[in-house]
This record gives sequence, C-alpha cells and structure tokens, in this order.
Amino acid sequence: MSDNPDKNLDYEAEGGSVVDVHDAVRREKVLPPTGKEPISFGPLILTALVLILGAGYLGAYSNGFRDDIYVTKYYRPDPRPAGAGGDAAAEKLAWIDQWMKDGKKVYNNCVPCHGPAGAGQPGLFPPLKDSEWVNGGTTRLGAIMLKGISGPFTVNGVGYNNIMAPWDTLGDEKVAQVLTYIRREFGTLKEGEDGIVTTEMVKAAREQFKDRTTPWDEAGLRAIPEDSMLPGAKVDPQTGQPAQ
Amino acid sequence: MSLDLNQATPEDIRERAAIDRSVRYPVLFFFTSAAAWLFVATLLGFLSGLKLRVPTLWEDCPWLGYSRLFPVHMLALVYGWAMQAGLGVMIWLMARLTRNELKNPVTVIVAGHLWNAGVAVAVITVWAGLGRSMPWLDFPVWVAPLLFIGYLMVTLWLIPMFRARRAGEVYVSEMYLIGAALWFPWIFATANLLVGDEGAATMSTGINAWYMSNLIYFWFAPVALASAYYLVPKIAGRPIHSYPLAQVGFWALAVLAGWTGFQRYVGGPFPAWIPAVSGAASIFIIVAVVAAGANFWFTLRGRQKLWEYSPTLRFTLFGVLMFLAYAVLSGVSSFFSLSQVLQFSHFVVGLDTLAVYGFFSMAAFGAIYYIVPRITGCEWPSPTLIRGHFWFSTYGIGTVVLTMLVGGFAQAGQMNQWDQAFVRSVEVANGWIVGRIVAWLLIAAANLGFFYQLALMFIGRGRRSAGPTLIHAEPGSVGSAEEAVALAGAGGHH
Repeated sequence: MSDNPDKNLDYEAEGGSVVDVHDAVRREKVLPPTGKEPISFGPLILTALVLILGAGYLGAYSNGFRDDIYVTKYYRPDPRPAGAGGDAAAEKLAWIDQWMKDGKKVYNNCVPCHGPAGAGQPGLFPPLKDSEWVNGGTTRLGAIMLKGISGPFTVNGVGYNNIMAPWDTLGDEKVAQVLTYIRREFGTLKEGEDGIVTTEMVKAAREQFKDRTTPWDEAGLRAIPEDSMLPGAKVDPQTGQPAQ
Repeated sequence: MSLDLNQATPEDIRERAAIDRSVRYPVLFFFTSAAAWLFVATLLGFLSGLKLRVPTLWEDCPWLGYSRLFPVHMLALVYGWAMQAGLGVMIWLMARLTRNELKNPVTVIVAGHLWNAGVAVAVITVWAGLGRSMPWLDFPVWVAPLLFIGYLMVTLWLIPMFRARRAGEVYVSEMYLIGAALWFPWIFATANLLVGDEGAATMSTGINAWYMSNLIYFWFAPVALASAYYLVPKIAGRPIHSYPLAQVGFWALAVLAGWTGFQRYVGGPFPAWIPAVSGAASIFIIVAVVAAGANFWFTLRGRQKLWEYSPTLRFTLFGVLMFLAYAVLSGVSSFFSLSQVLQFSHFVVGLDTLAVYGFFSMAAFGAIYYIVPRITGCEWPSPTLIRGHFWFSTYGIGTVVLTMLVGGFAQAGQMNQWDQAFVRSVEVANGWIVGRIVAWLLIAAANLGFFYQLALMFIGRGRRSAGPTLIHAEPGSVGSAEEAVALAGAGGHH
C-alpha cells in the first residue's frame, strides 16, 4: 500500500489522518438539509400565468379532442388558386399573369391619387378607368409616367388642375409592369391589341424623352400623336419571349 | 452531524474520500471519453455548417455531404458527449447523495466501453450512408440495443445504491436521478420500436419529435437539475430555499415531459388534438423550470457574487438560465402563428443546439469542474482557461441561437410564399448559416482549453496546492468562492 504512486490522493491510507485527504474533499461543505420555506409569491404568480396560457392554448387548439378533426385552428389553407391542373397549373403561371401581378404591386404607388379601381377623385385627380389617355397610344402614357404633369389638364372633357410627380425613378421593368396593368385593367383595348408594355418599350420612351426636364403641360402632350405606340417587339403572353 | 452545518466532521471527510475513490475510474472514464466525443462533435458541427453554406464543397465525396455530416455531428454531440458526461455525473452524484461506495466500478467501466462502442457504430454507420433520416435516431435500428444495454448496465447500479440510502428525507437530486435513470430506457425503447422504415411514416416523424423533446425534458433536464440541486447549496453554504418548491418542480417535470414533442408538427397530418396536447404540455412545463430556477435564485439571494468566482456555480447557473430560455422558446413556438413560420426552418436546429449545448453541456461542465478535482486529487490548472471556456461557449451558443432564429424567419418567410421558387428560401437563409460556422468555431476555441486541462488532470498533472481554482483569483490564494467574495468586498474590487 505504501507504494501508491498517487501520493497526493492518499486514498489507500485507509483510516489515516484526515489531513492526508485531498484538500478539495476536505474543504467541501456539508450538504445542508433542504429548507422548508413555503412557495413564495413570485413563482406562484408565474405558475398561474403559465397555466392560464397553456389552458388557453389547449382550449383553442384541441378541437374538443375529436379524432376526426385534423385541421388545426388558425391553419391557413393552401393559398394557391384553385382550378384545373392543380399544382402543375399553379407552378406554370403564365408570364402575363406574373407581369400583371407585379404591375398591381407597383400600382400601389398610384392608389393614393387614382384609387384602387382607377376611378380617381372627382375634381382633384383624373380617373384612369376608360380615360382617353389610357385607351390611346402607349407613347403618351409613357411620357406622362416618366415626366409627370403640371397644371390644367383635361381628361374625357373634365378639367383638372393638379400635379403628377414624374415616376422615372422606378426601374424600366416596374414602369412597364404598371403601364401594362393600367392598360389591361382600366383601359379599353382596341381590336387586336394586347395592352402589353415591355421593358424594351419603356427604354425607348426614356430615350425619346430624355431631354425633357420639366413636367408636361396639356398642349405638349397633345402634340404627340394620339395613336403613337412605343417601338418594341410584341411578346407572347405565355412566355414573355418575343412573338414569332 | 456537527452543530456547524457547514463544517464537515472527520468522519464525513473520510467517507467522502472513500466514495470518491470508489467512483474515480468509471467517472473519469466517462468524462474523458465524453470530452473526446465533444471534440469530434465540435469539428463536425463546424464542417456541416461549412458544407451547408458552400454546398459545392467536396461535391464528389458522399461522406462529406451535409446529409451525413449533420446527423453524425448530432449523434456525437448527444450520445457521445452529452449523455456520456451525464452518466459520469449521475454515478458520482448518486454515490455522494446516498453515501454509498460504488461496488462495481469494473462493470460500469465495461458498460462504458459498450456505450462508446454503440456511439461509434452509430456514427460510422450513419457516416457510411446506412442512416435513417430520423434526427437523433439516425442509426440503423440494430445499433439501439448496444446503447440500450450499455445504458442499463451503468444506471442499474443506481437503484441498489438508492435503496441503501441513509434514512430520512429523499433529497430532490436523488428523485431527479432515479427519474432520469428510469425514463431514458422507456423513451429510447419506445422510440426505437415505433420509429422506422416500416409502419406509418407520419407517426414515425411525430414520435421522433416526441423522443427528442423527451430526451431533453426526461433526461437532460433531470440530470442537470440533480447536479444543480447538489452543487448550488454546497457552494453557497446554505440549504436549498424551499422543499415544497423543489417538489413542485420535480413532479411538474415528471407529469408533463412525456406529453411534449408533437407540437413540433402542429398543423401536420395528425388529429389536431395530439399536437395541441403536446403544445399545451410544452407551455405548462415552464412551471418545472421556473420552480427550479426560483429555488436557486432564493437560495443564492445575497450571495450572487459567488457566481463571479466559482466556475461550477457559473456554468451550472448559466445552464439553468438557458434551460429557461429553451423552455420558453419551445413553448412560445408551439403557437400556430409562430409555428407555421418556423417549424421547418433553421430555428429548430438553433433550439436543439440551445438545449444540448447551451443548457445541458454547460450544466455538465459545471459538475465536471466540481467533480474532477475530487476524484483526481489535483486542482484545475488555469483560471484563465476556465474563463475562456465560459465566455467563448456563451458567445458560441448566443451566436447559433440568434442567427438560427433570424435566419429561420428569413428562410421560412420565403418557403411560405407558394409562388416563390424553393431555392429562394435557401438563398436568403444562406448568409445566416455563417452564424453556425462561427458558433462552432467559438465553441471549439472554448473547449480546447477544457480538453487541455482535463487531459492534464487525467494524467495527474493538475495544479498541486490547497485551495480551489477560482475565476477571478490567483490560483490557490483563497480557500473558497465565499472567501474570494469577502476579500473582494473588503478590497473594493468588483
């Protein structure tokens, strides 16, 4: 026993002096018996809160413990549009539908003045719905969009006097999307016209009006031929690629 | 017992020394092999994060795919490190609490080898591609008996020890230990019998989630709390505040833990009441955590400064705090408004890591810092390395939880947009994955010092002097954390 290599431990010195035992063991305090304090107020309140929360949860979600109910309350059903084709149809969203959807998002910028349905506000802001300017060529529409309008202005025979800010800070794609949206949603399209404005067309408009630094007045706009269309290839509404 | 409650009698001290000697080799075996697995797990955590961030890395090597690295990382972390460290803590605690020497150290060491073999086989089979995509149960089902028998061979010895305890009130730590010893075989066997390739896939997934939640609440929690209930009064030198509160905490855990788990798939294809019951249980169970936390808080009232000096207390209390964080996060995220967003996102990984590393591992470190000097006969060499261990671990766990929470929101926000390509959800979350890489690097940095110190103590080259190694004190200069607090008070520091 005396050849124990671990002298510091001295565990083999059975019955030896306490001092030989390693200090960590010696200095250690006795584990005192547990106190008998009653449960205090703080934990009780917290417990009550947790119980209320949990019981509320159980009440709201358990659906009366019925085996045949699988749909959790507050569950949002599948947000995809219903219709023939199901998943496949939903995944293959036509290009024009996506383009219109994005256009609608951009149109949120226009809603404060022109209203969600493009009706405008009588006496203040002109309508877009069936407006001669929307129904007409895309050049005029693009010009207004990019440079804005200031001063007296007539729409469908009604006079307005207000300011429209130029929206040339929006990207070409966003301008194209919102113009498409406005024409297809609010305009009356001519026979054989699809109302689509492409990014290429908006680029052309930017080029055409790049020297103009001030907003349009009515006379300046009317100088643009009513049926003038922005140059650019027609696209296939399904794919967004130039039509054959 | 002597009149001064805090001073041990010579008989007490001799008894302690004899108990520590009897468990010395098994406990050291568990701690050192656990630390080795922790090293492996840390490395794999880093690699799996890197692979997730840069998926084109090592494209031709299936062994280095995320689908193998991540499960292997978790297996090494949960079974290799956490549970193994927990087993060591259980043996030492039970021997000390019941004042029994361990009669069969050899059997326990054999069982320990069996457990390690089980973990190694589990890791290798999953790494070789034989795994099942069942988190924490990825190994082929025939590996389970190895772990199961290894576990039983260790913990069965706790039962006769408990039966041979001294007369008198059962200490709350003993209740937690017996609970943990018996609950694990139940949940492990149930999960392995019911989860698998055959049978209902949906239910397998649900039971898998039940198992993970139960391993946390039915094993990690009781082992960590048993250790905390033993160490906090020892270091504070005063009794645990309230026995009734401790009882409430224990029974709340015992009654509620088994119901938790299914809330991970709230809204899934189960009868709605099943996840609802789980969700409610995961909220109710916060009571168990609050009870334990409040008890430690009241016990330490007026002596919080001990936290600054005692490594054991600091790691243990941090673990309890993270347990609270875990319980609250997991309860809150079972509400459908959050769950519908977060349930399939990186957030879940953050939550699991919080439980295994932030909570349990930190509590286990606390116990190891206390136990190892007693069974090796030397002191931890460096307060600086202990401090580094604590802070780097804290930063690591903070990083992983925060980035996974925010990244989970970003990822899930895209996943829930039906008309967005799935890859968008990967792209937006990709930046946050860096958090995981950084976190495991920080944790590796934290643990290097720990490994080094543990190795020194294992070969008997720890610091040889009277007086513990405290965090803000010259090694060996003061006899206890309490003295250090008193000295600092007098000198005006801190």
